[in-house]
Amino acid sequence: MAESMVTRGFLETTVNADHREGFCENCGTQTANEFYMDGNRKRVRSACPECGGLGRLIVRSVSIQPPPPPKCVKPWCLLRFVLDTLFCALLSSYHTRRATYAEVNRHKKILERYRTGEPAPQNIWQAIHANIKLTCPICRKYNVDPFLFGEKLTEGN
Amino acid sequence: MAQTQTVTDTGIAELILLWREEAATGMESIVCLNMATPCTAVVGSTFADPADTATHHTDSGLQLAAIATVAGDTVNTAGDTILFDHVFTASATKNVAGIHVCNNDDDVTFIECCFNAVLAMENTDTLTIDGQSTIEQA
Repeated sequence: MAESMVTRGFLETTVNADHREGFCENCGTQTANEFYMDGNRKRVRSACPECGGLGRLIVRSVSIQPPPPPKCVKPWCLLRFVLDTLFCALLSSYHTRRATYAEVNRHKKILERYRTGEPAPQNIWQAIHANIKLTCPICRKYNVDPFLFGEKLTEGN
Repeated sequence: MAQTQTVTDTGIAELILLWREEAATGMESIVCLNMATPCTAVVGSTFADPADTATHHTDSGLQLAAIATVAGDTVNTAGDTILFDHVFTASATKNVAGIHVCNNDDDVTFIECCFNAVLAMENTDTLTIDGQSTIEQA
């Protein structure tokens, strides 16, 4: 009997969706669909026929992939999986909250990171901060971290 | 609920039909899902019965349409990935909860995706879809 463990093959799907206004954010002209080449790949986008600009981004919906299953039964492998799963759940929660927030405030000026989803939290601690900050109107408005007693966030945080 | 996306059971069955060279068609169409609250993608969804109480949009630029671009790509092994792009332009105020990616006959859903949040589309708003699906070797 084989001692080695193999992971499952699978079908992985990702879908990212950009919700934008239909008028160019540079010149106000209504955007139109155009095909363009991205390397060897033919792609499509809605761009301004005058200046090539895009409509103002309202929100970008992004895929979060669940962590791969553990490849061994050692405690560290299992703990790694548990931590990865927790991070995935927190990150999913963050993206759901910020997408809802960006949609509700489509006509208001909000932090660009809530529209683009970038920079996204990179670890559990950052994800907890980001989730709490999203629930705190004052923290959102002034871009401060609720755990740092009002310290201004830098671009990467 | 986080954004969820999955290849459906009927989509896998259609793939197997293609492998068996029986009556089946490839990825060709895309349509927006109409629902007032976020849906959750499930493998059991079908073209006729999307996730939760979602339905297909039938007008306003969000209805079933030919996918703008479909291409092959490589992630792990040569040619193991399919990429697709599409732009919807709304002509009225509508909610979009997700999308279905369908076959050429418009009777099988390959991929179901439910977005992070319901997108409140207004007249002239655009929704740019950038999707990919990869078959990973065991």
